[in-house]
Amino acid sequence: MSAKRRVTYIKDLLAKIGLEPERVQMFQMSSAQAAQFAEAARQMAGQIEALGPSPLRMKDKLLDEKQVEE
Amino acid sequence: MIIAEQKPLEELKTLIGDAKKVLVVGCGTCVTVCFAGGAREAAIVSSSLRMATKLNGDSKEITDFTVQRQCEWEYLDQLTEPIENVEVILSLGCGIGVQAIAEHFPSKWVVPGLNTKFLGLPIEQGVWSERCAACGDCILGITGGICPIARCSKSLLNGPCGGSENGHCEINPEVDCAWQLIYDRLSSMGKLDVLLEIQPPKNWQTSRDGGPRKIVREDLRLGSKEEI
Repeated sequence: MSAKRRVTYIKDLLAKIGLEPERVQMFQMSSAQAAQFAEAARQMAGQIEALGPSPLRMKDKLLDEKQVEE
Repeated sequence: MIIAEQKPLEELKTLIGDAKKVLVVGCGTCVTVCFAGGAREAAIVSSSLRMATKLNGDSKEITDFTVQRQCEWEYLDQLTEPIENVEVILSLGCGIGVQAIAEHFPSKWVVPGLNTKFLGLPIEQGVWSERCAACGDCILGITGGICPIARCSKSLLNGPCGGSENGHCEINPEVDCAWQLIYDRLSSMGKLDVLLEIQPPKNWQTSRDGGPRKIVREDLRLGSKEEI
């Protein structure tokens, strides 16, 4: 319950900052549910691939390139 | 204690404006307890602003520092070094803290990160309720420990207005009727006769109505006549 509240808070905060809230997800399962864990990992990997690199890292890359040019 | 709430991130971005170096200052007392401006919140605000401004292509150097209390000069002295090259100080203290920083460091631009709301207490985790209006002339001794100025929507002193329904206020049904609470408490303690005592009209000059307030305790002042 506490983790769910924190994930909700973080998603809200990410949205306010300007980042995609989908970069953080919560999946519920027990330690015995290996198949569900694998599926969740696959799902999350696909999600992140669709979203692409973090815009913050892209900004860092652009800044580095600009500095090199100068 | 003083209860405050954080301003929205968009408003914080506007307040820090074009400044390239910002210091977020947290406070370790009231606003820590109401989860608005403590060390953790200062770190989160600092980090959020760094990320948000970077995404806007306007990278800033934003750091944070928390003092035990922003309302005392001795604690603010700790800020002398951290604010050296800072352009804007974003205070996560209550209105008192923001003003204290501005007064203690007159050459620095200080902006508020919180909205100071009221004097109150947590009635349960995550819920804070107003209890005191700082009227300067406390009458809790004759109202069973329940303040009609802070807790009655109309701040009535002569008893209920007659608009309450099932013990709830006609102005806001989520608010308990303060006079119902007062009556119930005095009744449970067998002290209803207290309400029959005639009271003089309240002198509101001790409240905010009388202008900015000040207390001077000569017995506590350093170098006071008492010491000499």
